[in-house]
Amino acid sequence: MRKSRVVISLLTAAAISVSTLLSGCSADSGKDGVTTVTMLQYKPEAVKAFEKIEKLFNETHDDIQLKIESPNEAMTVLKTRLIREDYPDIVGIGGDMNYSNFLDADLFEDISDIEVIGEIKPAYLKMEKELELLPKEGTYALPYVSNAAGILYIKEMFDENGWEIPETWSDFIALCDEIKKTGTDLLYLGYKDTWTCLAPWNALAVGLAPSDVCSSVNAGKTTFAAEYSEVAEKIKVLLDYAEPNPYAYSYNDACTAFARGQSAMFPIGSYAVPQILSVNPDMNIDSFTFPANDKEEDNVLNSGIDLHFSVMKGTKNKEAVYEVLRFLFKDETVQIYLDEQGGVPCKEGDFELPDFLSGMEQYIKNDRMSDFHDHHYPSEMSVDAMIQTYLMDKSNNSAQIFLERFDKEWTRYNRDLIARVKKYEEGQK
Amino acid sequence: MKNKKVLSKRMTYVVMIAPALILFILFNTIPLITGAFYSFTNYKGYGSFEFVGLRNYIDLFSDARVGNSYLFTFKYAIIGTLLVNVLSLLLALGLNSKIKFKSALRAVYFLPNVLGGLVVGYIFSFIFTYIIPAIASALHINFLENSILAGEDTAWIGVLIVGVWQAVAMNTIIYISGLQTIPADIYEAGMIDGVTPWQKFRHLTLPMLMPFVTTNLILSTKNMLMVFDQIMALTKGGPAQSTESISYLIYKNGMDGGQFGFQSANAVVFFIVIVAISIFQMVITNKKEEQL
Repeated sequence: MRKSRVVISLLTAAAISVSTLLSGCSADSGKDGVTTVTMLQYKPEAVKAFEKIEKLFNETHDDIQLKIESPNEAMTVLKTRLIREDYPDIVGIGGDMNYSNFLDADLFEDISDIEVIGEIKPAYLKMEKELELLPKEGTYALPYVSNAAGILYIKEMFDENGWEIPETWSDFIALCDEIKKTGTDLLYLGYKDTWTCLAPWNALAVGLAPSDVCSSVNAGKTTFAAEYSEVAEKIKVLLDYAEPNPYAYSYNDACTAFARGQSAMFPIGSYAVPQILSVNPDMNIDSFTFPANDKEEDNVLNSGIDLHFSVMKGTKNKEAVYEVLRFLFKDETVQIYLDEQGGVPCKEGDFELPDFLSGMEQYIKNDRMSDFHDHHYPSEMSVDAMIQTYLMDKSNNSAQIFLERFDKEWTRYNRDLIARVKKYEEGQK
Repeated sequence: MKNKKVLSKRMTYVVMIAPALILFILFNTIPLITGAFYSFTNYKGYGSFEFVGLRNYIDLFSDARVGNSYLFTFKYAIIGTLLVNVLSLLLALGLNSKIKFKSALRAVYFLPNVLGGLVVGYIFSFIFTYIIPAIASALHINFLENSILAGEDTAWIGVLIVGVWQAVAMNTIIYISGLQTIPADIYEAGMIDGVTPWQKFRHLTLPMLMPFVTTNLILSTKNMLMVFDQIMALTKGGPAQSTESISYLIYKNGMDGGQFGFQSANAVVFFIVIVAISIFQMVITNKKEEQL
């Protein structure tokens, strides 16, 4: 008897010491009267901007301490923390499929009662709504900055050679042929990182396919084979004008090559500019909307929410969290972010657009924008890798294989959602 | 004071294994059981979930991507294990013979094991992408002018080279320690019988070394099957999903994509496969071991 009691007490002692060790890591250590608000944001490249914002906030607030974490691979970090149920108070993530899934899993607080919503451009609030898998009451995210994707180009190179900005697909191809003749490399593609394949894909898709293609497919109204055939065809044409073997080079390699002037154009989003400038700070970059169509008026700028803030459900300090959000949406704070990172602010107001977006300005002002299609693709389906596979496939019917696979895998990866959409629509009737 | 007497010899052993046991259960057994539980759900890793019965397991056998990851992993593990063991045995024989700078050389050959997999991966990634193609185009070696990591058919070789380069270090050390356990008198007996070097290796060294071969085969097969770091640093599963290993796919889609439930099922199956292979190897190689 006694023996076993000793064993049990020792085992419990060990168990307790282990568990205190573990919980020690996540303990909320705050001074009396000071509320700590933790925020996790997913853009490691924006760490400097957020360090400034954090410092400024903590200097002006005695009762709230703001802690901003900007880890690498933040999405994975965040998901791992969600699995452990260790939630930050605020998350700053992008308006993509991850957000849709988190929202669908009921992880976010309804924040429709915060005043700053009134200062946000309605187009972006609408974009947020479209990210809901099933329509939901309330507001769950405050769009902060959006980005725009298309083609970045080196301004001096275009000016020197008298090249004109193409407005239609045939102009674009003509320009590419012309540049090719001069012996300059014109596109540098970093297709080793699969997601880079999505940049031209999205930019073409917004112009060539309807913006609600994913939900239409989910509702059984159309197929990707029908909607994406032109996108698939045109993305392959780009390979003729790229460096040999683009699958050897990563996104970083491509940014560096473009920064060194090894290519005239780079089909990527504005989010790449800070990295390019870090290699070559004196570079004069401008951009234009991807001319996907043969009529200029059909072209649409690819723009989506790059960063928005959501409040995690069950946060203990809602008042303090709101104070942080109000601070983030002050004009001065937004400007700090824009100065560091660039991008298009989602807030109404007189913010200076960065120079590298001047080629897209008309589209932004006239609201000719459409969200990234991949924001609606489930990440586990790895559409980016499927596109890479398709681009590497040299057989004659590669487009057909790819599109058939797209439709087949889509129904497999989305079957739970498709079933729920069906149920929901039947309930609506 | 009484308690002290009660702590008999047996108790001491229990106390000694208790912390390790608790940690093992806490960090290994419980996660394993939780994982197995989630494999029957459509859990995304967060939020609510439903039970889906055996659907994940049925899907597993019809999923082309999972199938390819098994093919890749086994191809990699089988070739990798063979290469690692042959190379490390040769190295061990060399490093165990009477040569100059023996200790220094042993340290040098162990170095790859000390370096982190990711660091090594990124260095090799640079070598494969820039240095080798540059040398190849200077020397007009056609097939190496493109980075081997960029080809669907060749990328796995790049991963294999790095994996083997790193794994050889540990196995060499184990083989060296094995060679040192072989008593010198059997070699002397062999010399009296006039053995050739090959006969000496084949009939004296190898049988005596068999327990270490068993250990090494099991260790390297297991490590090779779990290949992850190298892929993360070299190819990220690409190009065209040709180098997705099972562990990489489980991590990528289970953690990053929302397939926690499905990839848990994958992990359970993979666990069973690894256990089965280990037992099989142990049974086979145990038969070949010699005892003096």
